[in-house]
Amino acid sequence: MNITGMLYGAKLLKLVDFPTSQVLGSEASEHEIQQLIAKCGEVFVKPIFRGGVGKKGKAGLLGRAKDLKTALKEKERLYFAEHRHGNVIAKSQGVTFEGAVPAEHEVYVSIADSTRYRAPTLTITHHGGMDIEELSKDQIVEVPFDPMTGLKSFVITNALSDLKAPKEIVSPLAQNLPKLWDLFHHNGMTTLELNPIRMMPTGKGGLMPVACDFKCGFDRDDPRMKRLNLPNELFAVDYSDFEQEINQLRTYQGQSDVSVINEKGTILAPTFGGGANSLVTEFLGDDAIISSDFGGNPPYEKMRQVMRICLKHWLKQSNVLFVIGGKANNTDIFVTFRAMADALREYFSEHGPTPVYVVIGRGGPNLSRGLLAFKDVVDSLGLPYRIFAFDSAMTDVVRYAQAADQWMKSGGREMLARKLGVAA
Amino acid sequence: MSNLGIGKFKYFVGINSLAEIATCKDRVCVLNILGNESRGVTPVSHSYSGGNVVFGTSPGRRGEVLETPSGNVPVYNNVREGMDDGHSFNVGVVYLPPAAVRDGVFELIRVNKAIEKIIILTEKVSVHDAREIRALAQQRGVDVFGGNCLGVADAWNHIRLGGALGGEKPEESLRHGSVAIFSNSGNFTTTMASYLAAGGWGTTTSISSGKDLYIHFAPAEFANAFDNDARTKAAVMYIEPGGYYEENLEFKKPVVACVVGRWKAKLTRAVGHAGAMSGSGDSAMAKEEWFQRILKVGGIYSPENPVCSQAGAVVTNISHIPAALTAVMKLNGVEPDFAPEGDLTLKPWFGDNQGLPLPPELDIPLVEPMQPYKDQIAELTRQVGATFPRESMKDRSGSSIMDAKTQVTRVSGISILDTAKYPLESNYCLALLHELSDDNDNALFNTAIAADVNLHGDAAVMASDAVRGAGNAPNVVSAAACAVVGPKRVDGACRAADVLIDLFGHTGLHTGDQVDFDFSKIKASREQLAALVGKKADAKAVAMLAALKARRTKSVFVDYLRSLGGHPTADAVLGAITTSISWSALIRKKIARTTAHNFPWYVRLFATIIGASVDSSRHKADSFCGVANKELLNKWSATEIAYLALLGEKPSPEKLFPFQVLLGLIISNGVGTISAQGCKGAVSADGPESPERVQINKAMIGFLTHTGFAHGGNGFEGIQFLIEQFGKTKLKDAGDPKHGLDLKAMGTRFAEVFGAEKKARKGVGESVRNIPGVNHPVFKNQLVNKDPREVYLSQLFKERGETNVFHDFYSALVQALYDSGVTANVFCVNIDAVIAALLLKLLWPRYRSGAFSEEAMENAAFTAFLFGRMVGCAGEIDDHINRGRNMDTRTPASQCTFVS
Repeated sequence: MNITGMLYGAKLLKLVDFPTSQVLGSEASEHEIQQLIAKCGEVFVKPIFRGGVGKKGKAGLLGRAKDLKTALKEKERLYFAEHRHGNVIAKSQGVTFEGAVPAEHEVYVSIADSTRYRAPTLTITHHGGMDIEELSKDQIVEVPFDPMTGLKSFVITNALSDLKAPKEIVSPLAQNLPKLWDLFHHNGMTTLELNPIRMMPTGKGGLMPVACDFKCGFDRDDPRMKRLNLPNELFAVDYSDFEQEINQLRTYQGQSDVSVINEKGTILAPTFGGGANSLVTEFLGDDAIISSDFGGNPPYEKMRQVMRICLKHWLKQSNVLFVIGGKANNTDIFVTFRAMADALREYFSEHGPTPVYVVIGRGGPNLSRGLLAFKDVVDSLGLPYRIFAFDSAMTDVVRYAQAADQWMKSGGREMLARKLGVAA
Repeated sequence: MSNLGIGKFKYFVGINSLAEIATCKDRVCVLNILGNESRGVTPVSHSYSGGNVVFGTSPGRRGEVLETPSGNVPVYNNVREGMDDGHSFNVGVVYLPPAAVRDGVFELIRVNKAIEKIIILTEKVSVHDAREIRALAQQRGVDVFGGNCLGVADAWNHIRLGGALGGEKPEESLRHGSVAIFSNSGNFTTTMASYLAAGGWGTTTSISSGKDLYIHFAPAEFANAFDNDARTKAAVMYIEPGGYYEENLEFKKPVVACVVGRWKAKLTRAVGHAGAMSGSGDSAMAKEEWFQRILKVGGIYSPENPVCSQAGAVVTNISHIPAALTAVMKLNGVEPDFAPEGDLTLKPWFGDNQGLPLPPELDIPLVEPMQPYKDQIAELTRQVGATFPRESMKDRSGSSIMDAKTQVTRVSGISILDTAKYPLESNYCLALLHELSDDNDNALFNTAIAADVNLHGDAAVMASDAVRGAGNAPNVVSAAACAVVGPKRVDGACRAADVLIDLFGHTGLHTGDQVDFDFSKIKASREQLAALVGKKADAKAVAMLAALKARRTKSVFVDYLRSLGGHPTADAVLGAITTSISWSALIRKKIARTTAHNFPWYVRLFATIIGASVDSSRHKADSFCGVANKELLNKWSATEIAYLALLGEKPSPEKLFPFQVLLGLIISNGVGTISAQGCKGAVSADGPESPERVQINKAMIGFLTHTGFAHGGNGFEGIQFLIEQFGKTKLKDAGDPKHGLDLKAMGTRFAEVFGAEKKARKGVGESVRNIPGVNHPVFKNQLVNKDPREVYLSQLFKERGETNVFHDFYSALVQALYDSGVTANVFCVNIDAVIAALLLKLLWPRYRSGAFSEEAMENAAFTAFLFGRMVGCAGEIDDHINRGRNMDTRTPASQCTFVS
């Protein structure tokens, strides 16, 4: 759950009175753009990507304009620009016009929780405006600080002293950067990055830090984020319809975490436990449709709903329904399996039979009842199946599910469909 | 920092050896001890650890206790109260919801100076809170485990702190041995312990670290404690991507590290463990390399490529852990702790090829489950019928659900628009058995109803006469009759059903109508026979058996009774009938055995409610409402009998259909209705956890007393309204398409009068009266509004070529109200209008002829509602008995308010 760019960045920074560059959205009139150019001498035209998308400048997705004509031309070029960053392809949804900020110094600042220090950590350099990975170690400092007292001016002045930063930037940064802690800590953020902050002359001999780009990440488990009243669609890009439906059931009792791995996959694997999720998804690779963690002892109704959504979206295309988890500590196997088996039975009565091979591997409380509950249902549905318990290696059970998928792909599905009296 | 800890680290760490993590001296306080998860887990931990939980907290519940096999654990409102009562502890376990975790940890630290360890089980603790927890725990010198972990356990000390490591039977997985476990996954902590046992390795201390962003007791602290624990010869670590916790570990003893999660590099957000998201340098690949460097190996261990060193091995498959550990320890000259226990090869406990030619790699033969599962499964397989998990069923139902959007209720998954197409007997079976009955089932059921509807000489009809005479409404009259049908009245029939289930439960009989089934080998004991046959012929049983023959019903159980040679009792015949109907659902575990056991009771109540709706003068020795008992038994359906009781005549098929639709429509309006709440409350009060004690007749009374002039009796408002409109017309037959009335003109006339009245009332600030059957809070604000239920039924009647002048009038009326400017848009004709129109059409001839007074009309409308609704309520009663908890419908005092 990330936000990049100044369109929302400026709004968030204003909450703590941190100075920002002037920003206009896609809807800005030609008159407004012209006024901004007149005021700032130049505007930057930047595509708006939802979510966390970096390295836009390097990809040439940054326009500069000193006149309206160029600004509009850049708007046209960047409005629907596409950007590949890592495995993610992002599509722009409009542009922002950001007034240029004259400055001699560019500063990079981020606040994030570091696992090295197990504390919130300030990363700062006055060699900003570039990739910080490219800086040498003496050009940048990381300073952990105490969250109970927060980011204080002395933390910043100490860090800038260590960096031997130009003295004229020290005081304005020491005055303004502590404001970022309020934004970060009290609104459920996990990262906050301003790069660059341009140190703009105030006209009174001083400098003022002005944020010219913004990036932040939110903790989806932190309700403080709601204080910001950010529109939901800002994060909608992160989730498919299926994930959205499951997310609505996300409560602290029962994980119900899912991610679609391959929309064309053939193994539907409701998985229990974070460890099993890592292991099973890794072994199934692209055969898996979803990666999931439904552990945490979900109650019957929640499990049934989750399974109904999974089946509704994916069962038709699945060759194998693969229910897998380790030896549960606390998750009641009877409750969860009965819920899943009931959802499967309901799916068959609502949509008719579909050819699917069922493979189950599980251990935990109420195991015998749970396995029998699932067995009864698959028996009554006439599906081929194997049910394993915790005395079979989980990875071998994964291999078995893959073998079943292969068999289904090479004629098994047709045979089973004929037996069920339906089309393959 | 007030406590400097062991001093080896730049930050506070208090634990210097794994032996100190879960010790016999530890005393525990559990926050939110009565929460769902803790209620299940804490008693096991407490008993496994020899009773180490001194008290728990749960705000507002001081004085309660958590029951455990090792005695009760007291509960206080907060930590201070527990300590004021003389309890002391050094370990805090946190089961609070995420938003409360930080404050709980602060409470433990601030209130109890002796606190040393805190274990946080809760998932989804925000990073913000974890940050502050870390800071305060460091400041005050407290070791923290979790969040989102499953606690810690020590197989040597037989201590488990916090979570559920090892599940319900910790000793089964946590075997005494020489290996320590540190795992990012709680589940894998136990799974790896089981795998290690298969390889002959037991454990010392097991730590579920959690995998949030903040891991408070992290690998570096573990490595130090591991080195300092003389009991531990080796460690197994399960590690996921994200975080730099493992980058520079140093070990002095062998370690097998399992690193899983290469694929997670593809993810843009965490799935499962919140902290298992890697940045640029902390991916699974990077961690594999760290461990290869630390453990001095040149690759990943696998059976094909068993790379390992004296320092350890790195695996990416948890199944390889036991073999890798054995190989590493062999290089160190250390043998496993005990002989390997079983192996991890594929062992399917259950399976079926469904006759398909599976290849050998899939066609693996089934293996007998290990003990104790083998015995459990054998025992469970012997059980007949389903077992439902018990939970609070307040405002919840497994029987009915109303769709808030369409306002259409589903009973046992079938919409009431469809139940309207089925006869009453089918719907009753549907509510109880969760599937539709067939013609044979209905014939069996109808015989049973016909056998019990005539209450001649029965106390039930006398009671209902007396209550009716005292001026009570039909619901109270029926309730009085139901009160008589108590447990003793039905004991014989329910016992007969039980005996038949015992005798046939494991014979492979799939359906009750399988008449070619060979029951020659079934031998009933003397006791069982006594429940089925008597010494003397039972006239009622004889009549019922004759009727079943006349109806050509098929029933294995009735055939079996006949084969016994004696004189089947009427109770046994009823038990055989209900068992036959319920058998298929029972044997497929769709219903609980309790349902099949109680089915005769439900049938008796059904017959009684219909029977008692007419006074004793109509119950003769040989006839009911003027129809001979024999004819009822041999031919009549339950729907026809209900019609007879309500309207006093035999229905023609044309008259029966709308009656059936009427009843089918009103069987349920969801679990929130007052009638459903009434019957559920009655079950809850008896205690469904002892299902045999629940008085089903009292639950039916609960439903009946929770109907009244506003709920159920209000159907009459619509009728009254229609009578106002049609009373002065010459209408004879409401089903005659040539009725000769100008409905549009009637509608307009009413609209004009109503419009004027509305204006006048508004002028003086009075509220405007509603027109019964018009408008609906959900189906409104369109230009033309429709209640989808009404649309569906209009279509149904249209297809059958049936006319209902009252229904047509409603359609004309809503248009006229709009045309006359009285309403802003065309209001819908709602479902209540359809019900009123249906009922009045049936009653009209009697009303016209003067045979029915308005009071009789009102009674008939109310009674019809009861006939329909008893079906849905029977479903709710049965559902609540099977799933509910004792007293689960009560509302906590905190949610009740006082109004002055």
